[in-house]
Amino acid sequence: MGLIEIAAAKALASSAVFLFFTLLVMAAAKRISTCIVMFSVQSAIMAAEILAVAYANKSAEAYTIAALVIVVKVLAIPYLLFRIVRNLKASQDVASSTTGAQSVFIMVGLILLSFFAVAPYARTLRVDEDMLAASIALLLAGAFLMVSRKKALMQVIGLLILENGILLAALTTIFGMPLVIEIGIFFDLLMGVFLMGLFVFRIRDTFEHLDVSKLRRLRG
Amino acid sequence: MTLVLLLLVPFLAALLVLTCKESRRAVLVAMSAGAIEGAAIVNAVWRILAAGALQCGQYLRADGLTAFFLLNVGVILALVLTYSIGYLRHIPAGRFSSPRWFYSLTFLFVFTIMAVFLSANLGMLWICVESTTLASALLVGFYNTKGAVEAGWKYLVVCTVGIAFALFGTIALYLAAVRSGVNPASALDWTVLMNAAPSFGVTRDLVKLSFVFVAVGYGTKIGFVPMHSWLPDAHAEAPTPISALLSAVLLNCAMYALLRFDTITSHAIGGEFSHTLLLIFGGLSVTVAALLMVVQRDLKRLLAYSSIEHMGIVAIGIGVGGPLGLFGALLHTFNHSIAKSLMFFTSGNVRESFGTLRMRRIHGMARSMPWTSAGLVVGSLAIVGMPPFGLFISEFMILTAAFGASRYLIAILLLVSLSVVFGALLHHFQRMLAGKRTDVPAKLKLLPSDFAVMGVCTALLLLFGVHIPGMFAFLLQRALVVLQ
Amino acid sequence: MNPAIDLIQSLLLVAIAPLVSGVIARLKAQMQNRRGASVLRPYADLLKLFRKHDMAPDTASWLFRFAPAALFAVTVTAAAFVPVLHASALFGVGGDFILLVYLLAFGRFFLMLGAMDGGSSFGGLGASREALVSALAEAPLLLALTSVAILTHSISVAGIVLFTLQQHPFQLSAVFVFALGALVLVAIAETGRIPVDNPSSHLELTMIHEAMVLEYSGASLALIEWASSIKLTLILALLIGVFAPWGMAAGASLVALALAPLFFALKLAALTIAIAVLESSIAKLRMYQVPDFLGMASALAILAVAFTALMR
Repeated sequence: MGLIEIAAAKALASSAVFLFFTLLVMAAAKRISTCIVMFSVQSAIMAAEILAVAYANKSAEAYTIAALVIVVKVLAIPYLLFRIVRNLKASQDVASSTTGAQSVFIMVGLILLSFFAVAPYARTLRVDEDMLAASIALLLAGAFLMVSRKKALMQVIGLLILENGILLAALTTIFGMPLVIEIGIFFDLLMGVFLMGLFVFRIRDTFEHLDVSKLRRLRG
Repeated sequence: MTLVLLLLVPFLAALLVLTCKESRRAVLVAMSAGAIEGAAIVNAVWRILAAGALQCGQYLRADGLTAFFLLNVGVILALVLTYSIGYLRHIPAGRFSSPRWFYSLTFLFVFTIMAVFLSANLGMLWICVESTTLASALLVGFYNTKGAVEAGWKYLVVCTVGIAFALFGTIALYLAAVRSGVNPASALDWTVLMNAAPSFGVTRDLVKLSFVFVAVGYGTKIGFVPMHSWLPDAHAEAPTPISALLSAVLLNCAMYALLRFDTITSHAIGGEFSHTLLLIFGGLSVTVAALLMVVQRDLKRLLAYSSIEHMGIVAIGIGVGGPLGLFGALLHTFNHSIAKSLMFFTSGNVRESFGTLRMRRIHGMARSMPWTSAGLVVGSLAIVGMPPFGLFISEFMILTAAFGASRYLIAILLLVSLSVVFGALLHHFQRMLAGKRTDVPAKLKLLPSDFAVMGVCTALLLLFGVHIPGMFAFLLQRALVVLQ
Repeated sequence: MNPAIDLIQSLLLVAIAPLVSGVIARLKAQMQNRRGASVLRPYADLLKLFRKHDMAPDTASWLFRFAPAALFAVTVTAAAFVPVLHASALFGVGGDFILLVYLLAFGRFFLMLGAMDGGSSFGGLGASREALVSALAEAPLLLALTSVAILTHSISVAGIVLFTLQQHPFQLSAVFVFALGALVLVAIAETGRIPVDNPSSHLELTMIHEAMVLEYSGASLALIEWASSIKLTLILALLIGVFAPWGMAAGASLVALALAPLFFALKLAALTIAIAVLESSIAKLRMYQVPDFLGMASALAILAVAFTALMR
């Protein structure tokens, strides 16, 4: 039992590393489904963190939030995204404007940047510097993915990672917000993904491609 | 109960309209729902003025500021619904473009807007602002054309990203509050934060960080430059009544959210930081929008950039501060919404008659569409800030406050931009109004509702340009009390 | 610190190298639904090759004959730097992880020279491709090893192994994770496996290592083949030693030393299965994609080095 506990404690303490790893895999990924799986893994890691806090503080609220994260982010949203990918019948290629190595280098740069950005705050706030840096890295990585990937669905995934980063920042600093607010945020996120999926289909139907870099009719 | 009613009516109306198979019945249901909501709004405003502030449960609250904006929404909603009676004749039939879907989505949109104004809690505020984006995205992409879908997608993605930044700012403020000793369970409540704000001095940097993110986040929704890229597309491609709702109400809604944060920040660390940031955003918006208005080719895009410019003016008003600046800013939101609605309504008529909104192709409006041209002239004079229309008063107040606070650079920037806008509008509209019509005019018969709408707008603009009614001034004063 | 054990472990590496190649080949065959040759086939190949006539092209110089011998000698020397059974190596000195990298580079250098000296176009082609891959693989290899060295406060491979050996498996730091990632990618490139190079292909489009050895025969070819197997085994042993050394004997206790080969064999078996699965499931990268692949390894290695400062 002791070994499992040690393993679990160590795994949780190094969840920032796992998050960075998912970011790097996502940067190097060439298919959309890889990115969706990585997003699911990221959310699962966050849910594990919340469960650890819930277990330590015996807080029912934290358990509910963890359950919410699992249901919405680990299961529901990836399922929605996979269904969209399947129904679109388009190629799974992540149309990226940077090559694999360039994306990974930029991601490494973003991770290091987030460490530097967080350094002054982590000391004054007395929080886990690694997790705070991971949350900022998720934010920046989401923004980077949105900008560099030309497929509409990849922009949705980038947005989801951005929101993941923000929620992780909330988790690290204040252990989440009041329950009702968290539920509202998750509901909004779910609706947002649903609507964006709807729009992706509309883009496909009206434009017959899914390359958002070609959506440039309205300019000036 | 009054507050719950404000939310319940549009929500139920949205569901009810969907069940009406006949479009005439849908219009009837929509109009009656609009009337009931209007009555509910008047009732709520009356109650708030009498009682000071209304609270319903933990999450719904309405004070003087809310009352002012509720009145704004009520007036615009009435105008938009009236105009839509005539407008719906022109909706091309499609699977989702029928009148009942139009009204259902519109009422859902109104429901989310009401929820924003009635939020007592900053987290609730965020959720509701995000839901306004979601509710209006389908309305922006209503026509399912290439332009509409592109505009809808851009709107959805850019605004969701922006609002995610606002969430970050909200969390940072929550963190600052909790670190300063506020009870975590209620540290998102606006009144609690206002009372505890003076003790936030310890977490100065955190409060500043939070305001920066909130300004960027909600600023995206307001349309501040450089986060404005979605605005011209969304306001141009949406159906005309929805464009009016977006420009007149949604921008004010986002400004309301920013105002709530600005007050807390000013109480916590003093006003210099937040107001300077607002001045920067306002100045940028005003300048860039004015310059871009000169080169526009599409009428509704021109109006959208004008909205950006006016939101910049409101931001300058808040940034300059002081009772005069704030009064001018709030008055400006109201006047601008009336004037912008008028402009959008006339543009809808132009579109139906000429078949296009490209200003180069429109000639001879004055002869063939006298009433619409009159509306256009009144609207453009009002938008530019000419007396005797209302916007002159509010802009004058803001300028006076700017000079009074020695913000000379901003004041001069504002004056120059207003002149540029005047020149741009003169240039565009003169070409549209004068001359002879070269194409075959479509049969456009203006319904009494169209006349009524344009007439009411003109009357209101004139009224507020000449003399602000006592009750209204009282309402504004109450709103200002909340902000100080 | 027993020199006898060090000698035994180096000889062990050299001796079982062909077996490792044989096992990988057999596993790949099984995954492709063939029966495959016996795992001892490489030994038979080596014996056969040693008995055959060693020919050289007329235009070749002394380099052509010298290169295989140099390659073999250098690789065997390199094998003496890697701890296998216990946390020390025969030639282990301070700074030997850098020496190890450049010993391997030295051998590769002579192989390229020999290939070009052979005079055929395939030799030049193979040499130029090999130069590209090795140039790009050198940085991540050095950086990753450096990051691990910084983390473990030691400057020799034996020291790194000793440090990790004394740690609890779950106390590993983030640096290890990223260094492992970088080293795995580099190992694929250095040992010439799919997806960087296909060791069993003879198509002009796809061969790198095979192109360089095309002109060789007899004892020279035997030495080259053996050297390449030794390189594969020693890189695998390096990975095992740096990242998962538990099971190695820390001191000189007889029981631990007796069990150590068993653990090593187990870990080596796991790695060979992993290589076989990897080679059978993914496609070889086209030549212009290889720099991209190695770029990712460099990025991971840079992250590993940065993390030694950020995540102590």
